[in-house]
Amino acid sequence: MRLLTHNMLSSNIKGVANGFPLRIEVEKVVEKKVDLNADFLRNIFPKIEWKAFAEAARTLGYAELPEDADSSFLDSDDFLDKFHHALLELHLEEGALICPETGRRFPVNKGIPNMLLHEDEV
Amino acid sequence: MTAAFSPTCQHLLTGRLKPQLQFLPPRAPASMRRLTFALASATTRGVEADAKDDGVVLKKGIAEFYDESSGVWEDIWGDHMHHGFYDPGSTVSVSDHRAAQIRMIEEALRFSGISEDPKKRPKSVVDVGCGIGGSSRYLARKFGAKCQGITLSPVQAQRANSLAAAQGLADKQVSFQVADALDQPFPDGQFDLVWSMESGEHMPDKTKFVNELARVAAPGGTIIIVTWCHRDLAPSEESLQPWEKELLNKICNSYYLPAWCSTADYVKLLQSLSLQDIKAADWSQNVAPFWPAVIRSALTWKGLTSMLRSGLKTIKGALAMPLMIEGYKKDLIKFAIITCRKPE
Repeated sequence: MRLLTHNMLSSNIKGVANGFPLRIEVEKVVEKKVDLNADFLRNIFPKIEWKAFAEAARTLGYAELPEDADSSFLDSDDFLDKFHHALLELHLEEGALICPETGRRFPVNKGIPNMLLHEDEV
Repeated sequence: MTAAFSPTCQHLLTGRLKPQLQFLPPRAPASMRRLTFALASATTRGVEADAKDDGVVLKKGIAEFYDESSGVWEDIWGDHMHHGFYDPGSTVSVSDHRAAQIRMIEEALRFSGISEDPKKRPKSVVDVGCGIGGSSRYLARKFGAKCQGITLSPVQAQRANSLAAAQGLADKQVSFQVADALDQPFPDGQFDLVWSMESGEHMPDKTKFVNELARVAAPGGTIIIVTWCHRDLAPSEESLQPWEKELLNKICNSYYLPAWCSTADYVKLLQSLSLQDIKAADWSQNVAPFWPAVIRSALTWKGLTSMLRSGLKTIKGALAMPLMIEGYKKDLIKFAIITCRKPE
């Protein structure tokens, strides 16, 4: 699971007011190199919840991202490299996503998050 | 906000499935015939459970069915797990089916009125009931959009991700997770295009299903539902005829489907959510060649051996195919498309 995906997922457990962002429990992180596409990065930037993204990257062991970012940063190649790396090249292979309010664990196995709710959470 | 759905499918586990022996060619191997008897007895074991357990059982059944049979399907038919779109009355050869499946996607997009204008194209797509990701990858490429797919089947999610990586989508535009369409793990208003290609028939609570589709759609976004429905009821009718319910019951059993509803039921639900530009059509004539083609492919040596290897659920599914053809012929089953837009 890439951080791009993590930035789009939230906990929908009944009664939870704000299920985003999910905390990350790391067991295994893998780096997979992927070609950088600046246009893609520029297009996706406005859709990224930056604070959650930077925090998630730190949890995965990557602390190079700035705390805050605005679109002017996209002119910097250095920033694009870091953005690209954290967004698309870090994969949580094994671990879990944790609901920020209930602490419920959603397991991540072989890179796939299982977001299925139990009957009593619906 | 509740539409009255005719309860055509009795409790999933108590459905009666007569062995479809007439479907097997006379010289079917004895092992196949033994298998069919085993299936019949397995499904007539009645098990009483309440509605909550039904949901759990159904979801588990769906996941296991697709975990088991996706590989066989992909082997013979490729990565699109939906009907092809054909010109009515056309004869189709084996090689035309993949093109027809792609045409189905294009026709659905066209019907929905989605813009080809690069400035107005969808940038984010959710594929609800994504299978092994055929639609997701196609839409991601077509629109240069980011696509999320959800499925109940871990095997499918795995395979979908592998195919995305292998097809050089460089893993950036498409991702798949195991999740429930009735409780999508996304915040509100995420997606410009909400895509449900032949997954609606698996949803036990159509109201919740449609609600979730509307919830995750972005303002101004498009919702496209392509699904199996039963015929609309006449104004005087309270429900389908007993023989119709019985036929659908048998199909439900084999494909892990809950109660069917009609196209009109979907339209009512969308209307109740104040969605706009609601359009619906019956594409049954355009999918007619599909089931006979699937049956033919199942009866090949490769088809039979693959099914036997994959397991009972797959075989059961295969045996139900003539029932689908019967349903279409008798104007009971409809292949429907329903599209709409979420207000800005």
